[in-house]
Parts: sequence; structure tokens; C-alpha cells
Amino acid sequence: MNPIIKSIINRIISIWKISDEVARGKAVEIIEVELEELENIFGVLVLGSFIGMPSPPMQISLDLMPLMEKELILMMEKVDTANEPIAQLFSVLDIG
Amino acid sequence: MNKATNIFFMGKGGVGKSTSAALTSVFLAQKGFQVLIVSLDPAHNQSDIFEKNLSDKPFQIEPNLLGIEIDQEFWIKQYLKDVHNQINKTYSYLTAFNLDKYFGVIKHSPGLEEYALILAFEQIRKDFSQLDYLILDMPPTALALKFFNLPSLSMIWIEHLLALREEIIQKRELITKIKILKKEFERDKVLKKIEEQRKQYQTLKDTFEDPDRTKINLVLNPDKLSLAESKRILEGLGTINISLSQVIANKVQDDSSLDHIEREFKGIPLLKTPFSETPLIGQDILWRFLKENEDKMTNP
Repeated sequence: MNPIIKSIINRIISIWKISDEVARGKAVEIIEVELEELENIFGVLVLGSFIGMPSPPMQISLDLMPLMEKELILMMEKVDTANEPIAQLFSVLDIG
Repeated sequence: MNKATNIFFMGKGGVGKSTSAALTSVFLAQKGFQVLIVSLDPAHNQSDIFEKNLSDKPFQIEPNLLGIEIDQEFWIKQYLKDVHNQINKTYSYLTAFNLDKYFGVIKHSPGLEEYALILAFEQIRKDFSQLDYLILDMPPTALALKFFNLPSLSMIWIEHLLALREEIIQKRELITKIKILKKEFERDKVLKKIEEQRKQYQTLKDTFEDPDRTKINLVLNPDKLSLAESKRILEGLGTINISLSQVIANKVQDDSSLDHIEREFKGIPLLKTPFSETPLIGQDILWRFLKENEDKMTNP
């Protein structure tokens, strides 16, 4: 095959792959935010006692705690944006 | 197979739970059964009753009778140490470091007292599964009811957390499926742990609710106060589906009327233990008391 044609085909494939990836990323963007929210709720429910919320019997929290570093960090991060929920929603929906 | 029957002794402070538990353990041991008496009461009266130095290591009181006293503090410390070690292993250094200061406070959290008793109970059931009877001398009412309530209460939380975790996993799977076109079958560790907890609490709940494996003796005196508290125990256990096996009216004198007790606990076998002039301390005295009142004592 002519090297020029081959290079064009390769570029088309690469553009296709990137746009496919972008489209897939866009498609799950909102679900990802929703997942993050659910993980935060789970974190708050289980580890609520660390931020002054009602929590399950202590041993349930303590048994799960060693497996929940991600949720714990997420929970702490969410505290920063917790006072601006509308701004966060607009950024998720790409408004403005 | 765990064949040991659990016999719990509950009641208001001072009614004679520990003495009734000691009498029952001596009675069963003399009958040839293999018995372990466990003091879950932080006041630890069994050492005084048997005049032996009981500890968290099994002590041979009689040929068929072993005794243990549970050190609640030790179980809380041990449990927190395990959790702390796991956190240090799984967390990044900085997160674990930041959590360090919380651990000093956690040991004072409400709920850990009864959980320490549950952990000790589970361990004893495992270690002494081949015995015939485990006699458990319970702490005063409030803590004893929390102990029995713990599995049911934990199950309510576990079911909710399980549903939420399943939703999270479903969403996570959906995202990976769209993004990388295939489902990733990675077992969620948190879900696995919640399922393990559910199994643990369900087993405990089943054990407590099964009248063949668990017998709860309610000890009371013929006075009004202990009757009032005993009624609350009956109600408290009723709400979590646990039934009483026997009511023991302790320190009954010749002129004591038990009509009101019989009326309140209708349908539950009533055992009368007479008042003893001499303090029931020491194996010989316990055994003599049993001999003298043999006709009134029945096999639990």
C-alpha cells in the first residue's frame, strides 16, 4: 500500500478512536458524578461519626474503615464544595 | 458442629444472677456434664463465689467445671488495635497518620462495650464448642439488653448499606462497560466485608433466637422493684424475638408470695430458690445448698 494512503488511514483510525473515547467519556460523565455522590453518601453513612453525623453501630464503621480510604478522602474533598451545590451542578451539566 | 447450649442469667443488680449461675454450673457439672461458667459481668462475682482467682484463661474449678472471667477492656483494646493495624496496612501514610488522633477517642465510643462482650462470646463459643453447657453470667440489665440487641440492630444497618453498595457497584460496572467495552469483574472488598458482617450477625441472631441453643434465665426476687425491671427485660427481649426459658425466683422466704410473679410470667416455667441464711460462697456450700434443696431444683 502507498505509504501516504497508509498514513491517512492510520490517522483516520486514530481520530475515530479518540472521538469514540471522548464520546464514551461524555456519555458517562453524569453517571460518574452520580457514582461519586453515591460513594460520598456511603462514606458519610459509614464514617459519619468522624464528621459529627449519626452513624451505624461503631463496630460496623470500624470493620469497614480499613477498606474505605477512597471514600474517606472523597468525603473530605466534598466538604470543600458542599457550600456551592448549584455551582457544582452547573459545572457537571456544562452550563455557562 | 457447635453442641454447647448457652444458658444466660439476666436480672436486676443484686438479685442473685451470679449465685444462680454458679449453682446451675455446679449442679450440671456434678451431673456429669462438661460445663464452662463465663462471667460477662464487669463486676466479676464468680471469683468471690468460687473463692478462686478466675481470669480470661480457663480455670478448672471442678473436674467437669471450668471458669472464665471476661476482661472487657482487653477485648476493646485488642479489637481497636486490629483495626488500627489494618488501616496502617491499607491506607497511605498520610491518611493513616491523620486518623491516629481519633483512635484514642474511639475506645470511649458508645456501643463498644457490648461489642467487646459479643466478640468474647463468639470466641468462647468457638473455643469450647465441644462442651455441653456454657453458663453466662450477664452484666446488669441495660448492658445485657444491648448485648442481645446488637445483632438485630446491626442487621438493620447492614441491609441498608448492602443495598447502597450494590447500587454503587452497578453504576461502576455500567461506566466500565461503556468506557472500555467490557465488564470488569473485580470483587468489591467493601461489599465482601458487609456480606461477612451480615453472616456474622445473622448467625448470632439465630443463636439467640433458637430456644434449643440458647436458654435465658431471668432471675428476680419477690420484691416490687426487681419485678418491675424483670418485666422490662421480658418486653425488651420480646421486641427482638428472644424468649425466656425460665424465671428464677431467688431468695424466696417461707412467707413470700409469688402469685404476682406467676401472673406476670404466665406460661414460663418458674423455679424457686429458697433464701439461704449462710452466704453461698465456696463450692462446698454451694453443693450443700443444692443437696438440701434438691427437690426444688430442676434441670434447665
